[in-house]
Amino acid sequence: MDNPLHPFELHPFGQLSLFGLDISLNQAVIMMWVVVAVVAGLLIVAGTSKRLVPTKFQSLAELLVDFIRGMILETMGKDGMRFFPFLATLFLFILFCNLLGLIPGLYTVTSQIVVTAAFALFVYGMSVVVGLARHGVKFLGILIPPGTPLWLLPLMMPIELISQLARPLSLAVRLFANMTAGHTVLAVLFGMALSLPLLIAWLPFAFTIAINGLEVIIAFIQAYIFTILTCVYLGDAMHLHGQDEHAH
Amino acid sequence: MPQFESHFFSSLIFWEVLSFSILLWVLYKFAFPPILKILEERERKIRESLEQAERHRSEAERKLQEYEAKLNAASREAEAVMAQAKERAQRLLEENEQRLEADAERIKADTAREIEHERRKAVQEIRAQATDLALLVAEKVVGRSLNDQDHRRLADEALQAVAETYRKG
Repeated sequence: MDNPLHPFELHPFGQLSLFGLDISLNQAVIMMWVVVAVVAGLLIVAGTSKRLVPTKFQSLAELLVDFIRGMILETMGKDGMRFFPFLATLFLFILFCNLLGLIPGLYTVTSQIVVTAAFALFVYGMSVVVGLARHGVKFLGILIPPGTPLWLLPLMMPIELISQLARPLSLAVRLFANMTAGHTVLAVLFGMALSLPLLIAWLPFAFTIAINGLEVIIAFIQAYIFTILTCVYLGDAMHLHGQDEHAH
Repeated sequence: MPQFESHFFSSLIFWEVLSFSILLWVLYKFAFPPILKILEERERKIRESLEQAERHRSEAERKLQEYEAKLNAASREAEAVMAQAKERAQRLLEENEQRLEADAERIKADTAREIEHERRKAVQEIRAQATDLALLVAEKVVGRSLNDQDHRRLADEALQAVAETYRKG
């Protein structure tokens, strides 16, 4: 039986470096390009048919865009729309990395911890920068939940600090683990289907199909969770402790 | 796990940042504005349509009330006209009846007067003829002719006597 982690292995296509940095191409990099091309193509084509009564294609793209817009308006309010381009691109990029990775033979970019970690750290760093830019030093108050008695501060602040630092970690690990686990299960089941006699091989194969369907849903949910948590973190940074919550 | 082979990290991060940035720029530049615009436009259109529908509805309701009020007024007016007409017809009828009655009364009175007149005339005529007849008979009986004045006087006396007798009888 094949090693079920085999689908996650990367094979560099030759050597490429920039200022001493290794930037060799591999399957994951090619898939990123594919995702960029697919997402850009879908949205640009949808954007060019500016019909008020949309075509099917147009409504698919509009559905995605409107979905993200609703997410932002719900968590951050109207002034969160400043982050719309970033958040929408983030959502679409992750979603299509997840979805295209489900096509057998294609690489799942988001199953690379370094990819998800880079997103998570960037997103968390952005929320901190937004918070500091908006509230200055007062942003450190995010470590003190409203209504904390003074004597509990020495206990609450470390806990809050840990919960803050856990944010990027959980963001990165959640997406990476979900994608990895799903594909590992698929690889195991498919390996079984290949190695078992035909008489019982249909059973794991049927499971492969069922779980692939489930993975489509998970691909969507994980992209959604990543994006909405980003919205929540940014929202926290913008409206410290829910102050001026009624801004929207 | 193959994902923890750190010699791929630099290339993955580099290409991730680059491709994400390119995607962000492309979408920001070419895709989001028209899509957001169309979404907003559609939203506006739907909201406007709803508002317009609401406006039309309230206007229709107002018109309906107006028409109902008008209808009510018209029917009230019609009733009033009807009542007036009835009253007038009644009055005309009564007037006509009175006039006809009066006419009938007058005609009756006229007729009675005429009849009386005719009767008197007839009585006088009868009296005159009776006188003539009586004179004729008397002439024959007396066998001689009295002159006319004598005749008259005698006849009148006779008749006076007769009338006297009638009155007493």
